[in-house]
Amino acid sequence: MRPTRSSKPPRRFLFLLILVLALVAAACSGDDDDAGGEDAGGETTTTAAADAGSDDGGDAGDDGDTGSDSGDASGAEVSNPGVFVHAADDEPTTLDPAQVEPGEGGETVILQVYDRLLEIGMEGPDPIPGLATEVPSISNGLISEDGLTYTFQIREGVTFHDGSPLTADDVLFSWDRVMTMDLPDGAASVLSDTVASMRVVDESTFEVTLQEPNAAFLNAVVPAMVSSIVSQEAVEANGGVVPGEPNEFLSGNPVGTGPYSFVAWNRGENLQFEVYDGYWGTPANLDLRIEIGASPDIRVLGLRAGDFDTIETDPSFIGDIEGAEGVTIFAEGLTVEPIHIAFNMRFDPADLPDADNISADFFQDPRVRQAFNYAFDYEAFLNGALGGFGDFNPHYIPQGIFGYDPNAPVYNTQDLARAEELFREAGVWDTGFSISVVTEEANLFEVAALVLKDSIDQLGNPNLSITVASVAEAVFDEAHASDPVPYAMWVKNADPFADPHAYVDSYTHPDGEWGVIHGFRDAYVDPDAVASLIDQAKVELDPAVRAALYSELQALLFDDPMWIIAAQEGVVAARRDWVQGFVSNPLWPRPSLKFALMDK
Amino acid sequence: MQIRDYVIRRLFVLPLLIVGVSIIVFTLTRVGGSPIGIYLSHEMTQEEVAQVEERFHLNDPLPVQYAYWASGVLTGDLGWSGVAAAPVTDVFLPKLAATMELAISAAIVAVILGIALGTFAGARKNRLPDHVTRVFSISGAAMPLFWFAILLLIVFWVYLGWFPNGRSTPEIYARINHPTNLYTVDSLIAGDFGAFRDAIWHLVLPAVALGYGATAIIARMMRSSLVEEMQEDYVDAARAKGLPERLVLRRHARRNALIPTVTVIGLSFGFLLQGSVVAEIIFQWPGLGRWMADSVLRGDQATIMAYVLFTSVLFLVVNLAVDVIYAYLDRRVALGE
Amino acid sequence: MVSESTQAPALTAGDSALKVRMRRAGELSASLLKNPTTVGGLILIVLMIAMAVFAPLLTEPNTPDPYQMPRDWGAIAEPPGTPGHPLGTTNVGGDVLYGVIWGARTSLRLSVLVVSITVVVGVAVGSLAGFRGGKVDEVLMRIVDVFLSIPELIFALAIAAVLGPSFRNIILALAVVFWVKYARIMRAQVIHVKENEYVDAARVIGDSPWRIYRKDVLPNAITPVVVQATLDMGNIVLVGATLSFIGLSEAGIAEWGVLVSEGQAGISAGRWWASTFPGLMVFLWALAFNLFGDGLRDILDPRTETTR
Repeated sequence: MRPTRSSKPPRRFLFLLILVLALVAAACSGDDDDAGGEDAGGETTTTAAADAGSDDGGDAGDDGDTGSDSGDASGAEVSNPGVFVHAADDEPTTLDPAQVEPGEGGETVILQVYDRLLEIGMEGPDPIPGLATEVPSISNGLISEDGLTYTFQIREGVTFHDGSPLTADDVLFSWDRVMTMDLPDGAASVLSDTVASMRVVDESTFEVTLQEPNAAFLNAVVPAMVSSIVSQEAVEANGGVVPGEPNEFLSGNPVGTGPYSFVAWNRGENLQFEVYDGYWGTPANLDLRIEIGASPDIRVLGLRAGDFDTIETDPSFIGDIEGAEGVTIFAEGLTVEPIHIAFNMRFDPADLPDADNISADFFQDPRVRQAFNYAFDYEAFLNGALGGFGDFNPHYIPQGIFGYDPNAPVYNTQDLARAEELFREAGVWDTGFSISVVTEEANLFEVAALVLKDSIDQLGNPNLSITVASVAEAVFDEAHASDPVPYAMWVKNADPFADPHAYVDSYTHPDGEWGVIHGFRDAYVDPDAVASLIDQAKVELDPAVRAALYSELQALLFDDPMWIIAAQEGVVAARRDWVQGFVSNPLWPRPSLKFALMDK
Repeated sequence: MQIRDYVIRRLFVLPLLIVGVSIIVFTLTRVGGSPIGIYLSHEMTQEEVAQVEERFHLNDPLPVQYAYWASGVLTGDLGWSGVAAAPVTDVFLPKLAATMELAISAAIVAVILGIALGTFAGARKNRLPDHVTRVFSISGAAMPLFWFAILLLIVFWVYLGWFPNGRSTPEIYARINHPTNLYTVDSLIAGDFGAFRDAIWHLVLPAVALGYGATAIIARMMRSSLVEEMQEDYVDAARAKGLPERLVLRRHARRNALIPTVTVIGLSFGFLLQGSVVAEIIFQWPGLGRWMADSVLRGDQATIMAYVLFTSVLFLVVNLAVDVIYAYLDRRVALGE
Repeated sequence: MVSESTQAPALTAGDSALKVRMRRAGELSASLLKNPTTVGGLILIVLMIAMAVFAPLLTEPNTPDPYQMPRDWGAIAEPPGTPGHPLGTTNVGGDVLYGVIWGARTSLRLSVLVVSITVVVGVAVGSLAGFRGGKVDEVLMRIVDVFLSIPELIFALAIAAVLGPSFRNIILALAVVFWVKYARIMRAQVIHVKENEYVDAARVIGDSPWRIYRKDVLPNAITPVVVQATLDMGNIVLVGATLSFIGLSEAGIAEWGVLVSEGQAGISAGRWWASTFPGLMVFLWALAFNLFGDGLRDILDPRTETTR
């Protein structure tokens, strides 16, 4: 090495550092204007960048054009031509329809790779033909008069990605497989709670008989991811069907009939798919890559850099994307997974964190639960944390689901005076409480817990204290799956369902899933009244009567709340302006996108 | 002779240390309770939880569980990673290659920059360049990597678009075979220059971010050993012979000053390994570090155990190698070069 | 020139230990003040600690827990200069200035706690091993070796992960990891000092081992520990912030690493303030103690190995 060389690196490096700082300063000083970078050659222009932040700098990259902010797709040069790149928020644990948990990342893949007999259309909850050529109805004769037997005509000429042809046998096999495997993590009960028997009439006719009439069968059961049609040939060649055991092959190698065929799953990196040329419908335009494991902020950065075409995000990140060049935010409609905070009335006080000092009957007094509902700062959560993307969730039946009653009484404004009054009446104002709320860390649930903490702090009573216990996802899952749950309060969102009964049964019925775990029966003023309303509504076939029953239930639950429902989160997605044919339906599994419909 | 004894003794202690580490690691992951969480889903019932417990032997006494784990480790079975949804062993090697590629690149940056800086400062002891270099290199040790990395990314990826994020352009990555999983090496084997360029391009930012911290360690050691060498008699002798200062530095002092620096290069490898956790999170690098971070956040104990055990073994082996090299070099010095 | 001061020269009988130490302290400060970078580090340290100590005077403490960020849900992600929020707010309405100031207090608490625990434990173990020797030394040092085999950050990460995310657990994790270094340094020093004539002299006089240790060994062996502790005051905050950044701290706490991680996403949207200021503070804090500790080391013993 020549001696002079040793003096060079430090200067260059210092220069780099200065450059970094100057550019950050430059990039940030422009509020509404984008701050472009400087010309690539410009060692000497860095200081100029620092004081001329609002300059619309000509840029070496692809985002330097002015005037492409208003959805002008032609303005920027498309990156990654030929492949559609989506950045998802988590990695699937399995790609097998029989094993996937509703709301989990695997559903995103299953939606693209598999088909179902019926699909949810581009808008609204109504089913459209998928692998069945017609949506059964009483008028077309495909539903029997008693509403129990459904007949599906199977589309001809459809082939699986492995080349085998689709027949009615594959359909029977697929559904039967799910119910036989009956995996704990999967959603087998969606089928097994509904279907009484199935039969292959001929090669292209499939018939299913239900246990009882079910208005939700066609839009909640048939298009569900668990009801996806898999290749019988592929399964039998790779492990077959074993009750209670996951199929390792299918869990990592989906073989469906969808517009995309599976190429590779690079764990922690991406999932790759290619256009399936033999697709029966309109083929996809581009190959597909789903990036997994990028943190929320990296997804935002990648979208801005043009590396990703669409990203999954949540309302709290919208502010980070707004105004970015070449990017469009899509925010319309609401998810059907309200964010709720639970009251546990069946915990073992010995299990609670050390600081907690309440007894198991603490929440049995409805006044205490009401007081919490009045104390919560809904405004702060919705307009602060969610940035206004969402709505106050009125009840246990979210907006967008049958039975939602816009006139039902609602907790949607903070009323500290009323909360204090109720806490005093219940006798806890002076004795006080210290409660830990458990939540998964670093997400909206944690924010909801912080809002609750701040809300209780606002009461100004030092005896009342909420501690936010943010834990790893797995730790939360373990607590959440324990019975009794070792925390007095927890935050999460509801599971998505298509039918109101599933919500009220899981979340409010005294003998329902959470009713049992959290001891609703001991807590409701009149548990039987709640139970009978829910039971009646379940079998009521007249929609008007059914809706009225749900309205009555909602009024009852207002006085006797079992949850704090923080908000119903809005559906938000962000995409590059060059994405064409963008369409989203919140009833499709997250991120509610079918990539085959899009182009760029 | 002496060195051989020393090496043999160290080699003998090594397995004992590894067993010790494995016990600590195992005990540690059980302090927080059962590692079952990662294998559960929201909807499982009590019986289903019990089934899962049975499947992973989590209802056995701890020493029995340790025996299961340890025998698994010896036979190459590191358990099931909930995060990767695959056996730990299956995912480990490709991720290790990614981490090594990053760590070695960062080490190259650090060694070149560190030695250059150290020499530069050491030759100008207590003058302004020395102070500036000192602040610069200490800044490297004090720099929060998580912050520095994100700044680099924003400037060079988002705003300037000079360097990409991630490890590769997947389309280019996919067009070559990956016998070693080291992207640079694989692209050279394939003779695909475009892929090689892609690999290097993706390496620049993370290697610089990660390497900067290690630069400081190396530069400081280089400087202080150079300062010391410059005071040695042989340097005075060389000067007395009328050798120009530049040559004194190059031919004599720097060569000898490099020897203690070798040790810190080994130490800085530990630093790089640790830093890779943060760098991989931010630069979306599909290596062991990011896997570890995910596992930490999601309570994937099988991966945490495997990772801690592996990094410790690697760390021990590298240190042993460095010590041996050092002892060897030092003896040659002692014998008179 | 001053580098020989590590090992005190054999004391003459008339010298009072206090006087000697005073004189050495004087010499030490004089040489420290000659180095501009060391002085710079010292000034930074003083500023940082002052900020931590006077935090309640600089900002109104949040009630009920001042170590929690005050959140203004009506001012989400406001830029610096917003009335009431001179450095802006975070994405959950936390006041960045409050986070910067009380983050210093959190950092001071973290570093002082961890350094004192680890120094006490490390010095005790190291002294015991070095002073007693034999079996005790053998066993203790094997344990130390095992602990040293696991890279610091990774070890701390694993511990904090197992204990669950909370600030207290970060303190615990760092304490478990950092004591070994002191044990090893101290042991080496004690063995070295033990060889000195004045220790033999004391033994001949019939001083008790405890007295010898306290009067003669400890004061002469402690210097490198002090250097290391100074460096660790900075490093611990750096590692702690890294753990927080990865997600092992509590939500809503006024801690720099947590704030950087929360504010990270906003940078790309031009909302640089929420992570830049806290990140800068971590840097300055670590820089301050590293500059000072480095100067201290150069003067006290230029040959000690650098930290990992």
